[in-house]
Amino acid sequence: MGFFSPWFLAGLAGVALPLYLHLLKRQTTTPKPVSSLMFYETRIQSSTRHRRLNYLLLLALRLLVLLALIFAFANPFISRDAAALASDRLVLLVVDNSLSMRAATAGGNTRLDDAKTEALKVLSGKGAARGQVAAFGSQLHLMTQPVQDEAALRAAVQSIEPGDGHGNFGELARAMRAMGEAVHTPIELHVFSDMQRSQLAGNFADMALPGNVTLVTHAVTTKAQPNWAVESVDAPGQVWGKDAKPVHVQAVIAGYGTPAAQRTVSLVVNGKTTATKSVAVPANGKATVEFPSLEVPYGFSRCEVKIDAGDAFAADDLRRFAVQRTDPQKALLIHNFGESRSQLYVGAALGAAAQSAFILESIGVNEAADRKPANYAFIVLSDVNNVPALLEHSLTEYVKGGGSLLIAAGTSAGGRTQIPIFGGRVIETRDYNRVPDHYMAVGSSDSSYAAVAKAEGWPGVKFFYALNVDPGTGAEAARVIVRLGDQTPLLMEKRIGEGRVVLFASGLDNLTNDFPLHPAFVPFIEQTARYLAGSERQGGARPVDAFLELRNAKEKGQGVEVTDPQGKRPLTLAEAAKAQSLQLTEAGYYQLRLANGRQDEVAVNPDPKESNLDVIPEDALALWQGKGGQTTQEAGAGAAAGGKSGPQKVPQSFWWYVMLAVLASGVAESVLASRYLGTMRDEG
Amino acid sequence: MIQRFLDPTVLAGISGLDLVAKTVVDGFVAGLHRSPDFGFSQEFAEYRAYNAGDDLRHVDWNVYARTERLYLKRFRGETNSMLTVLLDASNSMQFGSHRVNKMDYARYLAASLLYLAIHGQRDAAGLITFDDEIRDFIRPSTRQGQLHRLLAALNQAEPRARTDFARPMRYFQEFLKRRGMVLIISDFWESPESIIRSIEPLRYHGNEVVLFHVLDPEDVRPSLKGPTILVDLETQAEMQVTPDYGKQEYRQKVDAHLADLQERTQAAGMAYCRLMTDRPLDNALREYLSLRGGRK
Repeated sequence: MGFFSPWFLAGLAGVALPLYLHLLKRQTTTPKPVSSLMFYETRIQSSTRHRRLNYLLLLALRLLVLLALIFAFANPFISRDAAALASDRLVLLVVDNSLSMRAATAGGNTRLDDAKTEALKVLSGKGAARGQVAAFGSQLHLMTQPVQDEAALRAAVQSIEPGDGHGNFGELARAMRAMGEAVHTPIELHVFSDMQRSQLAGNFADMALPGNVTLVTHAVTTKAQPNWAVESVDAPGQVWGKDAKPVHVQAVIAGYGTPAAQRTVSLVVNGKTTATKSVAVPANGKATVEFPSLEVPYGFSRCEVKIDAGDAFAADDLRRFAVQRTDPQKALLIHNFGESRSQLYVGAALGAAAQSAFILESIGVNEAADRKPANYAFIVLSDVNNVPALLEHSLTEYVKGGGSLLIAAGTSAGGRTQIPIFGGRVIETRDYNRVPDHYMAVGSSDSSYAAVAKAEGWPGVKFFYALNVDPGTGAEAARVIVRLGDQTPLLMEKRIGEGRVVLFASGLDNLTNDFPLHPAFVPFIEQTARYLAGSERQGGARPVDAFLELRNAKEKGQGVEVTDPQGKRPLTLAEAAKAQSLQLTEAGYYQLRLANGRQDEVAVNPDPKESNLDVIPEDALALWQGKGGQTTQEAGAGAAAGGKSGPQKVPQSFWWYVMLAVLASGVAESVLASRYLGTMRDEG
Repeated sequence: MIQRFLDPTVLAGISGLDLVAKTVVDGFVAGLHRSPDFGFSQEFAEYRAYNAGDDLRHVDWNVYARTERLYLKRFRGETNSMLTVLLDASNSMQFGSHRVNKMDYARYLAASLLYLAIHGQRDAAGLITFDDEIRDFIRPSTRQGQLHRLLAALNQAEPRARTDFARPMRYFQEFLKRRGMVLIISDFWESPESIIRSIEPLRYHGNEVVLFHVLDPEDVRPSLKGPTILVDLETQAEMQVTPDYGKQEYRQKVDAHLADLQERTQAAGMAYCRLMTDRPLDNALREYLSLRGGRK
């Protein structure tokens, strides 16, 4: 027996305290004076003996509590034969099933097949120990409970399927730390993996394992393999209208540990190869391929960029993306009768950008009453001096129901005390013709807001006139996105009900400012239109393990149907009714259908880091296992040999049991002390 | 030093109440105490028809002028009382489980009563301190400086020896020849029978006797934290006692003793008042005086 922390034994000096209190201090009792002994009688015999017994018992319990506590802190251990401990330990077999494990090996198998074979070998030699099987992709999935049934464990190993995730040993270590808190017996962790370098955690400390875990790594390959991959594809997610401009597709082809070579790259749309190009990929480098025109039919198209890699790892030789061709959405601009500047500038900006995603319909305010706001993706209210009550009511209901509205205050709102629908109080009008420079520039802007992020603060834009509108306070306050140099809020957003209203405190014409004449006006209108229409994310591609938003604020009550790449429905009925998001765990195409008719199709691609088949150096692995300079093979052999190489002694801590003794003796001491002291308590 | 006996808060508590003696004692100087004899003070009592031989000076001639009948006008006589405080100064009185021991408490009580009697009622007041014999005696008087003499005697009364009521009581009767109030302040650690037998003769002389039983809380509810050796302050005898005994049997015995003493005292026509030293003195006095007021 020994102690892991023997310095705590210095606490034994504390044993002197109860001894002093019980024995020494008790001897120094001083006689107590009383007025008269008239009614007292000598009582020594039985009761004093009883007290003395109680004293000694209490003393013993207190000493026991103290000693056990000191022992527990000193962390005692006993050395037991490793063989005797076999039944206590847990052999945890973790098989890496990340994407790179699909790579073929020299024998014609995949890396995952080799890993499973190796795992079965370890399983047959585990002896009486309990075993548990887990698959490790991006997360640790336990396939069994800790059991001794070898057949069940073998079946679990056999059932591990290749995955598309990106492994991270930091995540594995975190899961082991969580397991180590619940399992106090020794855990023998066997990791069967290709030991990709990209699986190392960013910080080596993140891979630290708890004290009761012994790591044994089983690398299915020890050297890097050359591999070509399609690293990324840049393509739009949506194309609008039949006369849309040609769409460019750009792909990056990467080689890892490869010589310089000529590769053939193909663009496949709905299973048909529409274009092919040859590209020279430099040694261990990257090359870019561009397909100038992507022609897709209406609806969703499943597109891929493929290379003829001819390497052992085919899973990363293509990259998927989905493109939707759809009709442009309608937007409505309501302006004053006779005013035509705003429709000119806004219409031109929308036409110049946004790939003709919107068709702008422009009407005077007197015509607006018979339009249904719900038919439009968003509505612009430009410099309207008098909004009819009926229109104001219908626009307010439209916004509360999830609609979006852009209000340009212009000059006519200066006569009002409040901005209609938005609700902000008009404090004053700012006519900058009176200031020395005759204009005011933008002072500050919130770059996290998409509509102004591209414009980089609207440099050089001159504002001659603006309204100073109170953004309000508390929960109802509007978010101020852009302020002028004199801190006048210029662009604000407020959520009203399920919808949102963006207020531009100047005009969309070239009278109150020269903004429409600047290039920044086009991205501002484009991004604002996309933001208000809620069409930022449709189609396109996502990485494996990303989350797909199933429904937006307007679609809260809508049922959703998701089909995964295998054609199965991954959501249960309850999840289909309530879930807000879905984790995309497989590479391929996911289809999304909502009860309101909206459809979406998302292409999911594996993490490009999986394409780099470089392996972790031996010394790094040895360091992770805590074996110093010992190689992985030596360490693995040592751990696998177990008790076979002789009567190996293993220290086993039993502080947990000592703490139980502390608890039990503490409870007994409390009971006895309360009973004993209870007799002294003056109840009168 | 003397002034510590005249705590203003104590005196303020007493002055609000009338000290009215149960029995009217005859005296020399007019005061508030009512006498059973009719006399010639200012307080009218009644009219009585004239009988032959009555002193004509007492005839109310105004009534005669109106009614042509002779009536004597009678007045209520007001006299002073004589107050004597008997203070036990034995060793047991020096016991105290907190800041004020029984002797201090008894001193405060005696000083308060004497001050009240002299300044408030203009009574003649005296003091006898005793243990197993009479240690000091100051004859009741209304002379100038009497209060100072009494308080000085109280100050000098340090506890010593042991209590014995029988011996000093024989002498008390010699000192207390005139009727009055006798207040005995003690912790009465003797058998009730012996105490009453010793004190009873004072009552036979027509005195109003009041027993102030001063006790420390520990006298009644001792708190022992384990088997303890107890020392008797008067006899210096030692005894080992267990907490169980102090908690149960002792309390029963003391309660029986107190009940017996109170019963015997009242049976003998004397008043009894128990005072615990952890209670404020003015409250204790007020309680007692209220009790006395209720019995007039």
